[in-house]
Amino acid sequence: MNLFRSEEHVERWLAGRAPGATIPVAQLAALAFAWWSDRLSPDWRPHTRDQNQAILDAAGLTGDFWRLP
Amino acid sequence: MDEGDLGLRNATYRLVAELGRVPTADEAARATGLGLDDVRARWRSLHEAHALVLDESTGEIRMANPFSGVPTRFRVLADGRSWHANCAWDAFGICAALGADGRIETTCPDCDEPITVEARDERPDDETLFFHCLVPAARWWENIVFT
Repeated sequence: MNLFRSEEHVERWLAGRAPGATIPVAQLAALAFAWWSDRLSPDWRPHTRDQNQAILDAAGLTGDFWRLP
Repeated sequence: MDEGDLGLRNATYRLVAELGRVPTADEAARATGLGLDDVRARWRSLHEAHALVLDESTGEIRMANPFSGVPTRFRVLADGRSWHANCAWDAFGICAALGADGRIETTCPDCDEPITVEARDERPDDETLFFHCLVPAARWWENIVFT
């Protein structure tokens, strides 16, 4: 899970390997703040699979690649 | 994960914030009053529940996600300290967990050029960058360190 200077850098780095998913960094930041913001809360409880899937969906990350088991 | 596991999990994360790094099992035992064997057993339970990730060779914490227990390519300057994240997602996650703006320093895996991005008010200051995730969500926990 890396940051790249551009989509062209992603493609060159993959060097023909099957790609995963590429998203703009602003979308990543929105996902990260929704996913991790409660981690230091003294009242933290584990997220359910459905809660995490809802966070992905709300960040616009839908489709088979982003489907949790 | 029972209530005792959850209590130790939350105490462990409290130590992350206090120490500015992931605690050792010995530090967690002293801070909580639990025995070292109890800490290790409960951390194992938390590892199996994907609430943290242990180093299999030492039994110490490898990842208290989004914080890394070892140095990585993802350095985060936030809340007046320097942290290491497990990946780019976790780098923003450290800012999220701390509730703080931060500066993320890494390198582009393609060209090795430095990348620096500030997270301010939950947004990156450079929106020209891209994030790539190689492993589909269904397989993230098959090998979370690789993911």
